[in-house]
Amino acid sequence: MSAIGAKPAAGGSLDPKAAIIGIIILIIIIALAYVLVGASFAFMALIGIIIGGILIGFGVHFVPVGGAPAAMGQAPGIATGVAMLAAGAGLAGLFGGAWAYAAETPDLVVSVVTGAIGGGLMMAITCFFVTFIYVYGMGIPCASGKVLKDPLTGDTQPEYKSQGTEGHGLPFISWVGGVVGGLFGGAGGTLIYIMLLDVYKGALPGMMDAQAAQILPIAISLAGIFAVGMFLVNAVLAAYNITGTIEGPHDPKFKRFPRDIIASAVASAVCGIVAIMIVAM
Amino acid sequence: MTVKVEVIEGGVPHTKIMIGGLIVALVCIYLTYVNQLTGMQGFAFFGGLGAVAAIIWGSHTIKHLCSYGIGTGVPSAGMMAFGSGVIAMLFATKFGVAAPIVAIIIAAIIGAILGYLANNVLSMHIPVMIQSLIEMAIIGALTLMGFSAMISGSFTFNALTSGTVTILGLALPSYQVSLIGGGIIASIFMLGGIAIQHPFNACLGPNWTQDRMLTLAAECGFLSMIAAAIMSLALIDTYAALISLIIAVIGWYYTYVKYLALSKRDAAGWLDSKPIPELEGH
Repeated sequence: MSAIGAKPAAGGSLDPKAAIIGIIILIIIIALAYVLVGASFAFMALIGIIIGGILIGFGVHFVPVGGAPAAMGQAPGIATGVAMLAAGAGLAGLFGGAWAYAAETPDLVVSVVTGAIGGGLMMAITCFFVTFIYVYGMGIPCASGKVLKDPLTGDTQPEYKSQGTEGHGLPFISWVGGVVGGLFGGAGGTLIYIMLLDVYKGALPGMMDAQAAQILPIAISLAGIFAVGMFLVNAVLAAYNITGTIEGPHDPKFKRFPRDIIASAVASAVCGIVAIMIVAM
Repeated sequence: MTVKVEVIEGGVPHTKIMIGGLIVALVCIYLTYVNQLTGMQGFAFFGGLGAVAAIIWGSHTIKHLCSYGIGTGVPSAGMMAFGSGVIAMLFATKFGVAAPIVAIIIAAIIGAILGYLANNVLSMHIPVMIQSLIEMAIIGALTLMGFSAMISGSFTFNALTSGTVTILGLALPSYQVSLIGGGIIASIFMLGGIAIQHPFNACLGPNWTQDRMLTLAAECGFLSMIAAAIMSLALIDTYAALISLIIAVIGWYYTYVKYLALSKRDAAGWLDSKPIPELEGH
């Protein structure tokens, strides 16, 4: 069998046994964190990190990824891999959120919303230029191969779809999906960063016997690098769930997201508890 | 996908590369500890050599995993390695001299859980998934620790977070002039991440050969080491940084020439066939 003939083994259904084991691991880690740090801010930060991870994993499913076929105009989506796109959207959002949180009176909600807008904006710009290149550069109309009518505009698709392709370009629903995915990814990445930053800002001065202002570069760098690490872990897990290409929220593969929510929650909890233990131990 | 795309096997078996990479990386990272024992900084370059060993091992692990056609592109494996590795590595630096061993243990635990999630919860069902993700996390942690030790001269949390800045001949402690406080860790994160995923991505295909890919991995590792050596000028003694730089340049030149020779060996024969001759009378 060749790579082309191979069908993805990953189906749409959720393996109940594996899902239950995943949830048990999640509960064990949360319980372990409660025993180690108590009902302190660090414990709430772990919950925040898990929510952030879930937002990232869920958001990645909205992003239209076409991979190499999209570069040849044989599949709708942006012509690159899931992990690269998700990292671009999420990290752009994280920078926006981190900037908002560096204000004199930082506000969690404002910063997370700023992060979401940063991620959504990055995806909107990417999708815009991708459409521009598809239409005016490659001369192909935007058409989905997965649905007969665009769920948002009601435009019919098959008339514009070339034979032998799965559609091409970036249909409107995929464009909207990309922006929504960027919003979720940016919000999730920013939430993880802010949670870790507050933990480190609180614990590092005592641990290293220094003033809060002196320790700030270390707190920001540690929280930033951990947030990037967790973002990439969650994005790659979501990419494994999608296995290759996805058009957006109307794609049948989108229905697989419940599996990824469990996986993202467990992965974020594992990485989060290690990141918190660096100052709590 | 569970279908193995490539059947090309042979050369050195994966287990041998794994054990070799692990031991060389661990020994090299521990050799940087001679800095602490002797009070010198000239042994920092061993960290870079350890990172190169880990990168060579990592490129073969990516080959091992991605030959199953995971459908997400080779770079995602490198991102996964460093995303999970950086968390294990930074946590392990808290344990002083035991840091490299703790990093391996923590990375193995994180990798095993991620492997289980990918294989069972996300139903990938790839036979080598769990083992590969354990290896990838360890490789990410060891590469980052090797470069950290090379740039800052040590692998302990205090040494990575605090440095000294000299103002008018007066040495003052500063947290900003350090590997973590200065954000250098983000640069080595990407330097390692690109070095680890590039070799298999560049060499895959029907004419994949093991020695060519591993040579390219070493070349990418030394190229990252050159950049790391330049960054280390800011944090350690100039003579130690220059030793690192010279060793990195020599290593890069040697592997680059070797890779070029292997590429020529593996390239298809090129014959000067000339255009079809136009003969008179036909």
